[in-house]
Amino acid sequence: MSDPSAVKGKPKHVKHYFVDSDQQFEASKMGMWVFLVTEILFFGGLFAAYIVYRSWYPDLYLQASTELDTFWGAVNTAVLIGSSLTVAMSIRSAQLNQIKGLITNLYITISLACVFMVIKFFEYTHKFDKGIFPGEYYTYEGIAHEKANIFFSIYYMMTGLHGIHVIIGIGLMLFLVVKAKKGAFSAEYYTPVEITGLYWHLVDVIWIFLFPLLYLID
Amino acid sequence: MSGHHISSAKFLWAVGSSLFVLTFLTVAVTWFHIPGPWNIIVAIGIAVAKAMIVVAFFMNLWWDSKFNSMLFVMSIIFFLLLIGITLLDTLYRVDPVPSF
Amino acid sequence: MATAEASNIKRLQVKRFKPDESPKEHYLNAEKGLWSWLTTVDHKRIGLMYLGSIALFFLIGGILALVLRTELLTPTRSFIEADTYNQIFTLHGAIMIFFFLVPSVPAALGNFILPLQLGAKDVAFPRLNLASFYIYTIGAIFTLIAIFTGGIDTGWTFYTPYSAETSTNVMMMTLGIFILGFSSILTGVNFIVTIHKMRAPGLTWNKLPLNIWALYATSIIQVLATPVLAITVLLLAMERALGIGIFDPALGGDPVLYQHFFWFYSHPAVYIMIVPGFGVISEVISTFSRKTIFGYWAIALSSLAIAFIGFLVWGHHMFTAGQSSLASMVFSFLTFLVGIPTGIKIFNWLATMYKGSIDMKTPMLYAMVFLFLFTIGGFTGIMLGALVVDIHLHDTYYVVAHFHYVMMGGMVMAFLAGIHYWWPKMFGKMYSEFWAKIACGIIFVGFNMTFLPQFIMGAQGMPRRYYNYIDQFQPFHQFSTMGSYVLGVGFLIIAAYLIHSLLRGKEAGSNPWGSRALEWQTSSPAPHHNFEHTPVIINGPYDYHKPMAEFQLGIAHSHNGHHEGEKVDVETTTAQEKA
Repeated sequence: MSDPSAVKGKPKHVKHYFVDSDQQFEASKMGMWVFLVTEILFFGGLFAAYIVYRSWYPDLYLQASTELDTFWGAVNTAVLIGSSLTVAMSIRSAQLNQIKGLITNLYITISLACVFMVIKFFEYTHKFDKGIFPGEYYTYEGIAHEKANIFFSIYYMMTGLHGIHVIIGIGLMLFLVVKAKKGAFSAEYYTPVEITGLYWHLVDVIWIFLFPLLYLID
Repeated sequence: MSGHHISSAKFLWAVGSSLFVLTFLTVAVTWFHIPGPWNIIVAIGIAVAKAMIVVAFFMNLWWDSKFNSMLFVMSIIFFLLLIGITLLDTLYRVDPVPSF
Repeated sequence: MATAEASNIKRLQVKRFKPDESPKEHYLNAEKGLWSWLTTVDHKRIGLMYLGSIALFFLIGGILALVLRTELLTPTRSFIEADTYNQIFTLHGAIMIFFFLVPSVPAALGNFILPLQLGAKDVAFPRLNLASFYIYTIGAIFTLIAIFTGGIDTGWTFYTPYSAETSTNVMMMTLGIFILGFSSILTGVNFIVTIHKMRAPGLTWNKLPLNIWALYATSIIQVLATPVLAITVLLLAMERALGIGIFDPALGGDPVLYQHFFWFYSHPAVYIMIVPGFGVISEVISTFSRKTIFGYWAIALSSLAIAFIGFLVWGHHMFTAGQSSLASMVFSFLTFLVGIPTGIKIFNWLATMYKGSIDMKTPMLYAMVFLFLFTIGGFTGIMLGALVVDIHLHDTYYVVAHFHYVMMGGMVMAFLAGIHYWWPKMFGKMYSEFWAKIACGIIFVGFNMTFLPQFIMGAQGMPRRYYNYIDQFQPFHQFSTMGSYVLGVGFLIIAAYLIHSLLRGKEAGSNPWGSRALEWQTSSPAPHHNFEHTPVIINGPYDYHKPMAEFQLGIAHSHNGHHEGEKVDVETTTAQEKA
């Protein structure tokens, strides 16, 4: 057979081992959800570490959290929620065959994600200036607790890992923009947009929990 | 085409707005002193509500195959098992040797 | 082709498709050249590539074991230093677990057989499947680099604080395992979606082969547990790189927390390793008893029960670690529960064999060996689960003997049963039944020689991972070492006749075992796209009382969607065709 992925009578995007477009789409969505399960458990380990140490040192968390700027944390939360909205809009555009709308919404999502990372960058450098580094490089004197470095280690691990996921998301969406400009997507086939959207929403959900747990300990 | 629920733009904006409102609420409750452990419960409760809204209406689980919902619920259950059983150890460390 | 009725019932025209007994074209020669193998998305080829890799790692791990056992011939230094000894047992464990056992049945045999048993043309995400293989390879390369640049001596469990402070190359090793975890996860994703979405017409959940149920349960465990391993090794790497301090008491951390995270994966991991073996045993016992499986739903659901309960028992590895006594008691109780579904399986397999027409071919021989050895291993696991007994037996050779009985006496025997069972389907060749049975006997004897004394040693107090020991244990160690050489000989014999089979084996035919399972209703070696038709299932996979023709039905086209241009006369019959 010349091109095993194209079969006469089926649309071009349907692979030969699938019966039809619907089966392929549902399979891809299910696969993405299974992957999201693994992401939840992956971050779950970090949340577990957070919970264990918070139960042991509640005062530490109370004190250390004052070093985190609630305002910028809230702004970042709003930014990510906005990006979830725009990625949902981009999927909607794809579903309605509005490729220009798809690309525009993807660009907005990417921009919001970049805003998030910029804010994070300034948050991190502000801390570095004070000597709040992860692990054994921690030199800040401002918190009167011997385990202060642990809170911030957990903070850096959780937000750092989350940030890496944001960057990966930006990369994926740039890839989608490139493919969309080449006409790869339509109302019949927008699966990569759908599953990237699912990934992006999860990144948002994780931040929805990170924000109160790290910034709003009162 | 089954499984291709298309939300209206108005609906998506409504969902987004509700999330912004809840975010404001998340910060606002910290302006009032709520005695623990209720402060944590309220904070997590609002976060859970926001997450449910994103999962149901942005990620379309509301209209999707029940199996995908089950996948999500399963991940939460196992996450809770991880934390819960670990806490059985870490919270009860300072207990004396049982007297039997 | 499919005529829709007014009701929801879809009627399909089917006819019988007898498999080609001597196929000229099949998946091994459909595309030629090394590049076609390296870029293949054919699950069968990917399965073979995994098979070759895990065989290589089994060889390496086995050689390491022989080195260990040789060193233990004398109570003090025989021919290697203590630090080297630590590195060797660390590598033996890490390689055997992460590079052989965890991928063995799922990735190697599972990849090959799963779509065939489902009547699908491939898995749901074939390119992801190939990516899984390459991720496995890259993880392996990182590990090899770790071995050659400093080694590792922490034990395969990487317990902190030692693993956070040792100068050996823990970083590379943990990164290698982090990468490897993705391979496991992606395979799990692929299998779950394939099983849900790509079953042949008529293949309802109650007709699924038990091997599929086992792979399904395994995939669930892989998907839920492996991410926690990933975050654990990532945290360990950060601990080393940045001194994060959540596991190292010198930096304010808690080493027991590391153990919680580590075992949350590693206990379910042992079920990843064994449950696919259970699936193979179900297939083999049913085929070679020529009888329908006893207690289909009991076996199917017990796989899921093991998957679930297996997540609740991890603390039984930590009874002496310093966790709270409340946690220890809870874990001990839950550990007793996890043995029940496995016990249910053993009884159901025995009941399957009762009054069956037993055909004592090599796969069946290995299945019997499995039943015997795994039962011993399983029992001793329950004994270790008793909290007070474990206080005495923890970190002794009793534990070593227990897990070798379940992992080697159980899983490796099941794996060998699967290899010998599906070998004809993979290569279209038979192997020497005579030498296969000899090898099986040698392995059985060698295995018991090696590990039975270790139970006794352990109960008498011989600690594990110890380079030196007191004189009273020397006879046990020596006997055990002799046994390990016998084991080695057995495996060499297997390698010899299997290679001989590839070069000069007798042609196999599509169904040398007379099985009713779907993978046997297509030619051997399998065709490039698994079936030359779309299979239709009307019976359960173990219905030996039904005629063979009813298992060879397919949608009445001349093609499976690939040769749409060709025109072939198709008999117009409705419903089933009698043999």
